Amino acid sequence: MEAKSNVRKIVVTGVLGALSIALFLTPIGYIPWLAGASLTVMHVPAIIGAVLEGPVVGIVVGGIFGVTALIKAATAPQGPIDVFFVNPLISVLPRLLVGLAAWAVYRAFRGMLPAVAAVAAGIAGSLTNSVFVLGALVAFAAIPTAVAAAVFVANGLIEAALAAVLTFGVVAAWKGIESRTGKAKLAEEK
Amino acid sequence: MRGIEFFRNVSIGQYWPGTSYVHRLTPATKYLWLLALMVSGIASSSYAGALVPLAVAIAVGASARVPPGFLLRGIKPLVPLLAFTAVLQAVFPWPGDSSAPLFSLGPLAFTAGKARAVLMMFVRTLSLMTLVGLFTSVTSEGESVHGIEDLLAPIERLGRSAARSAHRLALAVGIALRFVPIIVGELESIAKAQASRGADFGSGRGGPIAKARAYLPLFVPVTVRALERAELLAEAMEARGYTGEGRTRLASYPKQRGEGLARWAAPAACAASFLLDYVSRNR
Repeated sequence: MEAKSNVRKIVVTGVLGALSIALFLTPIGYIPWLAGASLTVMHVPAIIGAVLEGPVVGIVVGGIFGVTALIKAATAPQGPIDVFFVNPLISVLPRLLVGLAAWAVYRAFRGMLPAVAAVAAGIAGSLTNSVFVLGALVAFAAIPTAVAAAVFVANGLIEAALAAVLTFGVVAAWKGIESRTGKAKLAEEK
Repeated sequence: MRGIEFFRNVSIGQYWPGTSYVHRLTPATKYLWLLALMVSGIASSSYAGALVPLAVAIAVGASARVPPGFLLRGIKPLVPLLAFTAVLQAVFPWPGDSSAPLFSLGPLAFTAGKARAVLMMFVRTLSLMTLVGLFTSVTSEGESVHGIEDLLAPIERLGRSAARSAHRLALAVGIALRFVPIIVGELESIAKAQASRGADFGSGRGGPIAKARAYLPLFVPVTVRALERAELLAEAMEARGYTGEGRTRLASYPKQRGEGLARWAAPAACAASFLLDYVSRNR
């Protein structure tokens, strides 16, 4: 039993990590937004991993994404802000916290409607990403506090809403599939 | 949707093939050096300390026959960035900044404190960039996956569960790298399927809200199909008796001569750079 669920967790971690990298490397991960800085949903796989499989999966998926961002920043930076992400305190640490925060909030709300919990986890994970990335950028004098606050208002809140919708969509679809097929695939797993 | 196909064969980092001593070092040693120099680059607060990773990366790169131009190609995008950051910092006041203004324009003042912070940021970023660039140019993708496991090998002595965790982490990273092209293909085919049904991705029309709304029918199926693949793979691995224990590996990395010394030199270099940092701050 335990071994089975572990294989599943490892594989889900890997696949969601791949999704995160894929969103990061293709133009699909960036949604043009009014403020000029693109909206991003690349941290959403970490939130989904945390909600579906627990905190460790969320943390590792976030870590895979963060390290990808770090390597990309060092080898092929695209924008002026990109290059700051060679600092792991900016690129990796906040992304580790995304999964943790999403899982904690999901757990706190799990007693209520699952939909509410998924939405709350999406918001919490996304806000964690925004706050810690922008906070670290300010701490390392990459951008002034006022700019960080403006980006947070212009992008962070919309990203949180988007992450909530996407997390809810995926969790609802996935759990729906599980119940429709009578959880045929790996029956022991919840 | 143009440009998606291009990314199917994308790789992260740029490996510079070679057979030098540095290339032949075990991945764990390379990771140790990467981490040690990263710590010293981030934590030091003097120019000298922050330049240590840059200097070491260029020296090691030279011995690995990686051209310095290849390592330093990140400078070009950094220069406009420096200007951009300097302007941003000049426009926004710093509370509690009492250093002498270098020049001022009405309410805007560019102080010595700001100049130091911007320059420090530039040095640190360049240093880390070169360091990571060197690591990816002497470490292939497979090596960097196996290196995670090897780096965590010492904790395997803590017990079987620790050993399993190290295996699992490396396996998850390995699966992630293998699945990237599959997921990109999936993104591409679903984006095209939705476009053929009238969805509008990346054509430039429609506002951001419309773009965000177009996202749900792309993201949800891709994620759900990725999770289905994960289920299938997990099932296949279990059917073949995978438990994560007693696993062996096809690739092995024999230790080079002096490998032990090279490993101990990494924390020593980190300590030396902190000493340098301390000395140059209290000069």
